[in-house]
Amino acid sequence: MQLEEKDFEFLVGDFNVLKNAEKTSVLPMFCDEMMDLLADLSNEIFQNEKIREYADVSSYAYWIRRASLKRKKEAYTEQENRLGRGVAFHIAPSNVPVNFAVSMTSSVLAGNVTIVRVSSKSFPQVAMICDALARVIEEKHVKLKPYFCLVRYEHNERINRELSALCDIRIVWGGDQTIKMIQKFPMPARAVEMNFADRYSIAVINAEEYLRTDSPKAARDFYMDTYYIDQNACSSPSLVVWIGENIEKAREKFWKELENLVVHEYQMSPIQAVDKYTSFCELSMKYPGVSLVSDNNFVVRLELDCLLPEMMEYKNGGGYFFEYKIRELKELTPILGKKCQTVSVLGVSAEDVRRTVFEEGVKGVDRIVPLGQTMELEFIWDGYPMIENMTRIVYISQERKGGRGIRNG
Amino acid sequence: MIEEFYKRNPYELTSEKKESLLRKELAELTEFHKKNCKEYERFLKAAGYKQENIKRVEDIPFYPVRMFKKYDLKSIDEKEVFKVMTSSGTTGQAVSKIYLNQETAMMQQKVMIKILNDFWGKKRLPMMIVDSPAVVKNRKLFSARGAAVIGLRMASSDMVYILNDDMSLNIEKLKDFLEKYQGQRFVIFGFTSIVWRHFYQELKKRNEKENMPQAVLMTGGGWKKLEKESVTRDEFKKEIHEFCGINYFLDHYGMVEQTGCIYAECEYGHLHASIYSDVIVRDYKDYSPCVIGKPGILQVVSVLPRSYPGHSLLTEDEGVVLGEDDCPCGRKGKYIKVFGRMKDAELRGCSDTYAT
Repeated sequence: MQLEEKDFEFLVGDFNVLKNAEKTSVLPMFCDEMMDLLADLSNEIFQNEKIREYADVSSYAYWIRRASLKRKKEAYTEQENRLGRGVAFHIAPSNVPVNFAVSMTSSVLAGNVTIVRVSSKSFPQVAMICDALARVIEEKHVKLKPYFCLVRYEHNERINRELSALCDIRIVWGGDQTIKMIQKFPMPARAVEMNFADRYSIAVINAEEYLRTDSPKAARDFYMDTYYIDQNACSSPSLVVWIGENIEKAREKFWKELENLVVHEYQMSPIQAVDKYTSFCELSMKYPGVSLVSDNNFVVRLELDCLLPEMMEYKNGGGYFFEYKIRELKELTPILGKKCQTVSVLGVSAEDVRRTVFEEGVKGVDRIVPLGQTMELEFIWDGYPMIENMTRIVYISQERKGGRGIRNG
Repeated sequence: MIEEFYKRNPYELTSEKKESLLRKELAELTEFHKKNCKEYERFLKAAGYKQENIKRVEDIPFYPVRMFKKYDLKSIDEKEVFKVMTSSGTTGQAVSKIYLNQETAMMQQKVMIKILNDFWGKKRLPMMIVDSPAVVKNRKLFSARGAAVIGLRMASSDMVYILNDDMSLNIEKLKDFLEKYQGQRFVIFGFTSIVWRHFYQELKKRNEKENMPQAVLMTGGGWKKLEKESVTRDEFKKEIHEFCGINYFLDHYGMVEQTGCIYAECEYGHLHASIYSDVIVRDYKDYSPCVIGKPGILQVVSVLPRSYPGHSLLTEDEGVVLGEDDCPCGRKGKYIKVFGRMKDAELRGCSDTYAT
C-alpha cells in the first residue's frame, strides 16, 4: 500500500485503521454493537448545546437514535444472512455538511470498514459529528474502532488510486464530474460501486388542493426544499408543474407567499442573480417558447410551452424555476427519464404518480415525497437501498426432496 | 448614425443630450441585431422586449456577457468576418469570442483614439509596449491584450515591444527607446499585472533606476491579480513614481466585448464614460437602476458593436457611478469606480466534490 500517514488528516480513526482495513473482519448487518454505538452517538450529539443552531445535525442525530434504528432493522427480514462486503470507500460531497455521516451510517450498519473522504471545507457540522463520534468510540466502543476512518486529504490521484484498489465497495457523491474523475481508478474485480450522479427534481401541485390548504405552510415547505439548500441539492425541485382548473389564481398566491419568505430570509449574492439571468438567456435562445414571468431576482420563473428533457440541462440553483401546466400526469412522461430523481407532490396523490411511472415505464423517478420533505434522511436514496447494497448475502439453499438439479458456473 | 457622434468631442454632452443621442442609436442597434442574430431575437422575445417600450437607454434589454463565452454570436455573414477577438482568460477558463466586421473594427480604433486624444493631445506619440510582440502575431485571432495594442497603433508614431516572447524584459530595447525619445513625451502601455511584474519589479531587481518624467503610463486589465499580491492602486503608483520617475498615470476599464469604448481615468482618479458608451449600475435584487452613489452590478452600453449583439451587456463586475457631468476635470457624462469581479457564491448543495 503506497499510502502514508502524512497523506491524511484524521477526523475519526487513525492510520492503523487504514493499514489494517483489508484484514479487518466484516460485521453482520445491523449488528447490536454497531446499533449501540450509533445510539450512543445520537445521545452524545444531543448533549451539544449548539445543536439547536444546526437543524441538519439534529435531524441526523434524531435519525440514528435507538428507536429509529430498531424500526429500520425490523423492516429487514433477511438480515441474519447479510453482512458487510469489506472495505467501503466513500467520497462525500463538498456542499452538504452532514451527507458524509449519512453515507457512513449506512456503511457501518451494513458491516463494513468505512473510509470516508470528507470535504476539505470546514463546516461546523462536520466537527460536531466527528468529535462526538471519536469520543463515543474511545469511551465506550473501542472494539469498533477498526471500522471508522474519516479523513480529509487534498485532491490527489495517488491516494484515490490506492483507496480504490483496496476497497470492496466505492460510494461516490458529488455528481457526474466527480464520478468520471474517480472512475479512472480501477477497483478489485469483485468490488461494486454506488454512484450518485447529477439529477433533477420536480414538484407537482394541484391548484384546487393548494387553494384549500394551509398556504403559509406550503410556502415554508417549498422554501425548505429549495432555498434552504440554495436549490442546489439533486432533490430540490427545478420545475413546478401545475395541474387543475384554477391554476392562475393558485400560482399567483403560491409565488407571492414564497417571495415574501425569500426576500426576508434568503441571503442571495449578486453573482447568483447574474447566474440565474444567464441561464434564462441560454434557455431562451435554444427554445423559442420560453418566457420570463417574474420581475425580481429572488424568485426567477420561466414559463415553458413544452416539456423536453434537454431543457432541464439549463436548471440553476438559488431560486430559479421552470413552470408548466398539465391536464393529466401522463404529460410529464418526457421528463421522467433517467435524470429525474424526486417528485414532490402537493394535493396530488403519490399513488397516481407511482402509477404513471409504472404504466409509462419511465427510467427515472426514484422518490415520491410530500412537498417539504425532499431533504429527509433516508436509507433508500437515488433508487438504491443503501444499506443492503453495501452488504452481501450468504444464500442457504434448503435441501430439496426428490432429484437434484445441477447448475454450472 | 455614428456620424452624429463623430462630430462631437467625446466628453462634451451633458446627461439629457447624451441620453437622447444614445437611446436613438442603441434602439436602432437593438432592432438591427434582432433582425440579424437569431439567438438574440429569441432572447429579446423571452425577455418581453417591445420596440415601443424603449423610452430610455435603461429600457434596452441587457445581455449577459457570459453568453459570448459559451456561444458564437454574430449579426453578420460568415464571409464578412474580418477578425475574431478573444478575452485573455487564464488557461482552462472559457474565453469570449467576439466577431468583428471591418466596420466595427474600424470604429473601435477610431473611438479609442478620440478618447485617448482627449487625455494626451492629438499628436501621435511613441509607445513602449510592456508585452511581447507575440501578443499581436495571430492576425485572425486577437486576445484582449492584443486588441488593446492594435487599437493603440493608430495613435502611435512608433511602437516598441520591450518584452521577449518568454515575457522576460529586453533591457537593450528599453534603453534604446529611452535614448531615442529622450526629453519627449511618450506612452508606456501594458496590463497592470504585467507592468508590475515584468517591468517595474524587473527594473528593481536589476537596480536600473530610470527617470521618465515625460512618460504616460497607461494601464488596463484590472487590479485583481495585484490585489492578491497585496499591491493597492496607490502603492502601484507611488512605487513606480519613486523608482521610474513617472508622474502621469492613465488607468482604464474596458472589456473585449466592447473594445474601443474604454473608460479612462482622469487626474482625479475617476473613470469616465464617453459619449459612445455608458454605464448603468443595477441593483442585484431586481435589476432596477441604482441612483448615483449606490453600488451594484455594472451594465455597459456601447454604440460600436455592429457585427455582434454586444451593445448592451450585463457584466460580472460591480461598481458605482460616482457622479455625472460634474467631475472637476471638466469632462461631462458619468464617472465611475469599478470594484472588480463579483465574488463567487459559496453554495450548499450536493454536487461538485472536486470542483471546489
